[in-house]
Amino acid sequence: MPGLIGPDEARRVADAALNVPGADGVEVLFMHEWGGLTRFASSSIHQSTHSEDTGIRVRVVNEGRVGVAASNDFSPEGARRAADSALEMANVVAPDPMFPGLAPPAPTPDHRAFDEPTAATTPGQRADRVAEVIGQCPEGFTAAGAFETLGSEVALANTEGQFCYAPTSQASLTTVVTGAEGGSGFAEVFANATAALDPAAVGKRAADKAVASRSPRGLDAGRYTVVLEPSAVSTLVGFLAWVGFGGRSLIEGRSCFSGKQGRQVGAASVSIYDDATADGTLGIPFDFEGVPRSRVDLIDGGVFKGAVYDLRTAKLAGTTSTGHALPPPNPEGPFPLNLFMEPGESSLEDMIASIDRGVLVTRFHYTNVVHPVESTITGMTRDGTFLIEYGEIAHPVKNFRFTQSIVEALGGTEMVGRDTELASEFFFSASRVPALKVSSFNFSGRSDH
Amino acid sequence: MLDVAKQAVQAAEDAGADYADGRVVIDDDESITVRNQEMEGIDRSTSKGLGIRVLVNGYWGFAATARQEPEEIERTARLAVEIARAAARLPMDPVVLSEVEPVTGQWHSPMQVDPFNVPLEEKVAMLMEATRRMQSIPGLSFGEGGIDLFRRRTFLVTSEGTELEQTTVQSGAGIEATALGDGEMQRRSFPNSFRGHVSAAGWEHILRLSLIEESERIATEAVELLSAEECPSEVTTLVLDSGQVELQIHESIGHPVELDRVLGMEEAYAGSSFVRPADRGTLQYGSPLVSITADASLPGGLGSFGWDDEGVPAQRVPIIVNGVFQNFISSRETASVIGQTSSGAMRADGWAHYPLIRMTNISIEPREGSLADIIGDTKDGVFMSTNTSWSIDDHRVNFQFGCEIAWRIKDGRLTSMYRNPNYTGITTEFWGSCDAVGGREDWTLWGTPNCGKGQPDQVARVGHGASPARFRNVQVGVRG
Repeated sequence: MPGLIGPDEARRVADAALNVPGADGVEVLFMHEWGGLTRFASSSIHQSTHSEDTGIRVRVVNEGRVGVAASNDFSPEGARRAADSALEMANVVAPDPMFPGLAPPAPTPDHRAFDEPTAATTPGQRADRVAEVIGQCPEGFTAAGAFETLGSEVALANTEGQFCYAPTSQASLTTVVTGAEGGSGFAEVFANATAALDPAAVGKRAADKAVASRSPRGLDAGRYTVVLEPSAVSTLVGFLAWVGFGGRSLIEGRSCFSGKQGRQVGAASVSIYDDATADGTLGIPFDFEGVPRSRVDLIDGGVFKGAVYDLRTAKLAGTTSTGHALPPPNPEGPFPLNLFMEPGESSLEDMIASIDRGVLVTRFHYTNVVHPVESTITGMTRDGTFLIEYGEIAHPVKNFRFTQSIVEALGGTEMVGRDTELASEFFFSASRVPALKVSSFNFSGRSDH
Repeated sequence: MLDVAKQAVQAAEDAGADYADGRVVIDDDESITVRNQEMEGIDRSTSKGLGIRVLVNGYWGFAATARQEPEEIERTARLAVEIARAAARLPMDPVVLSEVEPVTGQWHSPMQVDPFNVPLEEKVAMLMEATRRMQSIPGLSFGEGGIDLFRRRTFLVTSEGTELEQTTVQSGAGIEATALGDGEMQRRSFPNSFRGHVSAAGWEHILRLSLIEESERIATEAVELLSAEECPSEVTTLVLDSGQVELQIHESIGHPVELDRVLGMEEAYAGSSFVRPADRGTLQYGSPLVSITADASLPGGLGSFGWDDEGVPAQRVPIIVNGVFQNFISSRETASVIGQTSSGAMRADGWAHYPLIRMTNISIEPREGSLADIIGDTKDGVFMSTNTSWSIDDHRVNFQFGCEIAWRIKDGRLTSMYRNPNYTGITTEFWGSCDAVGGREDWTLWGTPNCGKGQPDQVARVGHGASPARFRNVQVGVRG
């Protein structure tokens, strides 16, 4: 099995690029990832993979001109070739007047998130865990999903003297259980270590939901009070990051929060922040230009506090980087990868009990932006949608299409769950979020199942 | 590199594989982005590695590595076999591969001028001039241009005797104008949104796009959209340009007819399909004007190749004929489940991934008339152009698409401009309402370079030929 390459070897290879002649500054981003994914469908393992790759991404600066080259040839020769290529590109482009310089030396938080047994998980161990999930399916139901175990390490070195290194591991398990009469349920779990996962619990949660969602009935589209489980909330938070929390879009007036600094944008119970080194997330302690990651309060008590920045956007905004750069070149600008929504005091049962007529949503599917400045998105419900009547689940309903402003939904948040889950969104990294009760949510259409 | 792939196959057989294929892939990419005459990014990347896929007692295993030393090849082959053996812990019907004739050959996508040999200065200068012209339009906030180049060399060897070398070069470019004001952001793109128009061709394709010539027009439209009326919410006649028909085909026909999705293999990720194997020859998918073909041999298509990643030759497959569903796109494994042979649609995202069924070039067959003819033949309706968002449910039934711009059609003429247009519908109802499909003169073979599928995530570049088309009784103007 592959294992850690380590900071010394990463630095040795990086040095071959850092020393390229003719450059004013050089930055080398090193990434190494290995792991396996056991994919299952119809309660059998149908696609299982394992791969290992190393990557080096070299950014070269010459008189304010910037070029970037990447290669998976992890050797001093490969790093040098990438540096030469980046320099060639830098030399044909115009200087960037706002180039902020490379990251200065700075210590990064000690954040140990590497679990050796997780990175070394064997195919047999993954298959056994998958069997535990599938074992929860009642008669007439089957499970599909994926169990992935990863080891990775990231290092960054530059000619300013910054060097940082972090190894991490990740285990993730996702399943959808389906069966007769249209029943469908979903559950997922993420952790730094495989030992923290309970596959049987994941399988049971999805199976229970699938059984409960059999024979869904059609319900008219329209506005409903909703209870959104954490997976659905992670979609709102992930897309809010996309349309609102990046420093570049904020500066340029493209963010749904442009011009709203210090203003109330959500209910007082809504607080969202990004923190890569907090417990309960899967972050690394520095960004992809070597700046230590800071905790950033984005919305506090419903008030928009600010965005995340990398070095360039921080210079444009007259502030300092919060450590949220993505790998270069990055026309989209900085992005928060480790979002949290503060929990409240309600249980899911409390929320349901408080509603005379509403809808419980397990998760959203295939969401996309309709109007970024208004934070309006559209998508579908999936894997368990239920009508709530008089404080109880009445029956499952066929899936809805929603077309809804996220900011409006946050403004209409009436209850916040006391428990949080690390939940994924199709396009973005996982966020740790609670369930929410939202007073009015726009279901603009419905499907046939 | 064929030698490396051969070593991999031998090592896999030595480790106990009943079937094995070894695939070495070398990817080289180049990307340039300019915004308001400033460099946003210029980068190149290269990636090389080996993927080994095995069948052991009817169970799949796959392992991949970036290194090609003999010991590493043997380790990776043994790991692939170990993965297959682990899969057998959960019993299923063993995989059976449909027959394919072993083949030896080489293939190269057509290209006149190698885009990787064109001086960087020339590429940057084109984008600088296009953005300069966009910036000359008063009220424009951002003018952006991008060029993307891809070269993939694939070396495939199978234990059945196939040995193939293929090189595909794909080139694309596009420009985008953004105007901001009064809480609105409006954008116009050319020739299409999301990085323009990518084709399996060389630099000659980019020169034909006329980015500089069209830059002021789209910048002007972006600014005009800021003060345009919102697209009204109504049920009406909808005319789509070929770029939007492209994505409509992709989401509501291309994905639902992938046989792995139909068989439940994608259930847990992007979902399954409303189409069933028994629907072949009976399902009324669209109106009689709707005929859809998957063709991996179309020159210039992003889904074109000599052979797929299982060594199955490129084919032309009728998917929908005169509105009736006929065939899936398939792999050797899935085709055998329904008693057929593979349609040749298995492709992997580079060396590190397992091949999946991916769209080739899935196109609507042109009928008659131009876009102008269709609009001229429409008494009242809305014409929408250029995709900006897409969403479809997990059975590929309920969809909603947004476009950059629309106009009212009144008595055969475009009148008021609308901003923020979108439309929604149900797949078979929508295609069933199609009563006009444009002819060859406005049919374009578009590229979709960002098609996601599978776990781990894979991105494929696929093609869609599309004409403008008209649909009746469509809900437009969905509001939040």
